[in-house]
Amino acid sequence: MTALVLQAVVSGLLMGLIYALVAAGLSLIFGLMDVVNFAHGEMLMLSMFAVLALHGALHVDALLLLPVVALIMFGGGVAVYRLLIARALSVASNRGMVQIFVTFGLAIFLRGAAQFAFGGEFRSINDGWLSNRTVALGPVFLPLPQVAAGLVCLLAFAGLLALSRTEFGRALEATREDRDAVALIGIDRDRIFAFGWGIGAATVGVAGTMLSTFYYVSPSVGLNFAVIAYVTVALGGFGSMLGALAAGLLIGLVESLTALALEPSLKQVGMFAVYLLVLVSRPRGLFGKI
Amino acid sequence: MTDARAPAPAPRRPNAILRRRRRELALGAALLAALAALPWFISDVYTQNLLILVLLYAGLSQAWNVLGGYCGQVSLGHALYFGLGGYTSTMLLLDLGLPPVFGMVAGGLVGGVGALLVGWPCFRLSGHYYAVATVVVGEIGYLLFINWDFVGGASGLTVPIAGRSWLYLQFGVSKLPWIYVTLGFAAAAWTVAYLVEGSRWGYSWRAVKDDVTAARSLAVRVFPSKMAAAAISGFLTGVGGAIYAQYVGYIDPDSILAGSFSILIALPAVLGGVGTLWGPLLGSAVLIPVSELSRSYLGSSGSGVDLMIYGGLIVAVSLARPAGLVSLFGTRGLAGGRGRG
Amino acid sequence: MIQRRTLLGAALAAPALLAFGRAAAAAEDVPIGIVYPLSGNSAQIGADAHAAYDVTAEIINGRHDPLPMLMGQGGGLARLGGAKVRLVYADHANDPQKARAEAERLITQDKVVAIIGSFSSATAATISQVCERYEVPYISADNSSPSLSQRGLKWFFRTTPNDANFSQAMFAFYKDVGAKTGHPVKSVSLFYEDSIFGTDSSNIQRKLAADNGIAVAADIRYRANSPSLSAEAQRLRAAGADVLMPSSYVSDAILVMRAMNEVGYHPPAILAQAAGFQEQSFITGAGDLAEGVLSRSSYAGDAVKTRPAIIPVSALYRAKQNKGLNDNTARQVTALQVLADAIDRAGSAKPADIRDALTRTDVKGVDTIMPWTGVRFDATGQNTDGTPVIQQVHEGAYRTVWPAEVAVAEPVWTVGQ
Repeated sequence: MTALVLQAVVSGLLMGLIYALVAAGLSLIFGLMDVVNFAHGEMLMLSMFAVLALHGALHVDALLLLPVVALIMFGGGVAVYRLLIARALSVASNRGMVQIFVTFGLAIFLRGAAQFAFGGEFRSINDGWLSNRTVALGPVFLPLPQVAAGLVCLLAFAGLLALSRTEFGRALEATREDRDAVALIGIDRDRIFAFGWGIGAATVGVAGTMLSTFYYVSPSVGLNFAVIAYVTVALGGFGSMLGALAAGLLIGLVESLTALALEPSLKQVGMFAVYLLVLVSRPRGLFGKI
Repeated sequence: MTDARAPAPAPRRPNAILRRRRRELALGAALLAALAALPWFISDVYTQNLLILVLLYAGLSQAWNVLGGYCGQVSLGHALYFGLGGYTSTMLLLDLGLPPVFGMVAGGLVGGVGALLVGWPCFRLSGHYYAVATVVVGEIGYLLFINWDFVGGASGLTVPIAGRSWLYLQFGVSKLPWIYVTLGFAAAAWTVAYLVEGSRWGYSWRAVKDDVTAARSLAVRVFPSKMAAAAISGFLTGVGGAIYAQYVGYIDPDSILAGSFSILIALPAVLGGVGTLWGPLLGSAVLIPVSELSRSYLGSSGSGVDLMIYGGLIVAVSLARPAGLVSLFGTRGLAGGRGRG
Repeated sequence: MIQRRTLLGAALAAPALLAFGRAAAAAEDVPIGIVYPLSGNSAQIGADAHAAYDVTAEIINGRHDPLPMLMGQGGGLARLGGAKVRLVYADHANDPQKARAEAERLITQDKVVAIIGSFSSATAATISQVCERYEVPYISADNSSPSLSQRGLKWFFRTTPNDANFSQAMFAFYKDVGAKTGHPVKSVSLFYEDSIFGTDSSNIQRKLAADNGIAVAADIRYRANSPSLSAEAQRLRAAGADVLMPSSYVSDAILVMRAMNEVGYHPPAILAQAAGFQEQSFITGAGDLAEGVLSRSSYAGDAVKTRPAIIPVSALYRAKQNKGLNDNTARQVTALQVLADAIDRAGSAKPADIRDALTRTDVKGVDTIMPWTGVRFDATGQNTDGTPVIQQVHEGAYRTVWPAEVAVAEPVWTVGQ
């Protein structure tokens, strides 16, 4: 019994790290400019397809593709900002709703585009270095792809926190605090925003790359993670990196334990209920600014 | 989130507003008459179905507009009230033999109560926290229904085929009565929106939406006014759900409680013009045909082109017409009026 | 890459097909509606189905050497003066409302004389209702939910066995293999998604297990398309049943195989309610983990000795879709074949005449590509002769291991060893 619970805790935390990293990019973008990206799941999906396509063409292990995919996604994030979000932010009225539905329309468009380019088949990578490998640590089994993903997630979070200590990070922080004042001290707000989208998308790229080593890929795969990502961000507090990490781990744990102890088909009800309970007592999430 | 077109009462004289509202009402009556005559010119079933969906979504979106537009609470969980309405009326029909005409009202009541129960904890949340919370509540509803065998679980509920009867909303293969049912629904939703727009509630909602702190200082009781908006919106959405269930003849959690439905309900209002009388109808009249026709005539390629067109259209309209399509027809309060008259 | 080439091929072929359609129109062709998910989550299923029906229509209409199957002689419907069947496709995107609207459109605008569909049971529920209202036959090629044929519909015909038939075959297989090897099944774990397919399938299996004195060690309903199934896999491991009986679509089929491996669980045997487990993407996605997995099937691609038509039909399909026929696509071929035969026998393109002919259907298994005894409909419209088979993955491909009449190999039975 203890072995069972221990295993569930380990599996839950490993999955939680992935949730956290998927949510981190979303949270970063929100914190910077008050924009919720409803195409976040689709960006995850695209990064997974990027891994698959590059893996198929170059026969290189997914892990080595990590920087390439992160870079591609960075470019994609900047492009989305420049082409759509900058315009959505400059509209005269209804700004909040315009950005929600612009990103929502983008999500549908990207799903269609992925289906057009890659077809609707479910695909997966089976010949990676770590594919389907597991080590036993006493009674607990550690699947190597997930362990690697967990480590990379932690590194990515360390990177995000380090970034916030650089000069650029301070500019980012200043932009977040007071959007209009930064212009006065010579910070190009538009560039900061574009860079923020780039970093946010690159983070999703990292998560997608690691995910593709053990999860299947299809045009609609983003939907499996999207709602969880929004819940994670809101639970942690919009804009808080540490919040995303803590909330991701909590959600992964709740999911795993609910599926073990209660009805597995209700495990998402478990995590959503925890989220609502937290929100009732802390309307701005665990780490959100009150 | 200030709306440039929200009528600014201060500089206008009261009788100017009155005159504008009278014009809106006249336009509404004229349009209703025109739409009531329209079915006589449409004989093909596909177009009739299109018209029914346009009217249904116009009504649903108007219902959403009461809460999301006039009151400014962007709910992304309206599928829950829609589903509650559909399930309530269908369960009452199947288990108690209650005709759907009455079940519709019951479905609306359950939808309204559902909206109140969701609103009670969620209205404490602001902005995106509220939006995400409504997504999650909708998702919980979906998951509970799919696991709840009493209401058919994942297998859903089938409305049995019966003889033609208005009481049971069964018309064989004829679609004409359905056009009038949905037209009645859309007209009712429009009338409710028209009434609340001019009422004290309407003013306080606009105040809430524009600036909560200012509204509070104006002694608008924020929480009760939001709850009132939720109840009206939930009731109308529930009625729409009941109509949908009877029209399609089959419901399951995937088809009426899924999160995507919440977006479909909000989208016409957003693209047409949020917080306006004509936005939901206009948005629905553009969006539904595009979505249906692109699927019917491009979707069969299976290439995803239909999704690209649909998604691209949403992006393009949102960016090009942030105040909604009604802004094409003029400005200020009469938005959407002149062009369609 | 493959996909793009297929698309290109389709684009090049389109003008030719259009020309063909025009020529055929002159010969009073018979329009048949085909409603599938061509967009959305299950788009691949729809794309595969599209190709399967195209191939079948070419066999029925085209001029070619006769194939050893019913309607395989080509040249259209003989009793209707060589009229061609013309397929009209519609996309229901897995939404019952859209399925309903498309069925109405096909019947009223395209004047189809029958509709074939539809993959998911929820869409079949509304399409068959529309067909009932308009009095047009609905041929269910691949909807396996038993409840569909229990609604007293007069215009509903199902060529495929349903999940009750399939599950009965699975338990009959247990009995056979237990008697033969001396290692009977004592317990099973039910693992099924929270959909109409999963719950229906598990309800029958639960009942059959009780009837056969087999214990249900775990009864797990899981959330379809979950990000992770590892806790579920642990519960399966803890239950430790002789046979795992999953009812899943392909995404979850891949995921659960991996999740069980991750927690070090390798069940003695797996016998799947087909669906996802019968797809090529499952075998490539699960890789080595798929080896030895058993699945029920309605199609036996290796039964070429007793069903000679399999080779040419499968080759035609491969030319289009770059993969062989599977459980779904083979059933789709058969559904159109049976319908075309009924129209031909009716000698009329009137829906009522076609319905009459359908009720009198008596197709022999050897005249199809299916390992079935044949096709005959009972009063509910269910095919009573659609006898399923059990297959096992061997070196990356399924081979038929039961029943003995069509088996090409003995099952590798690892229970109790």
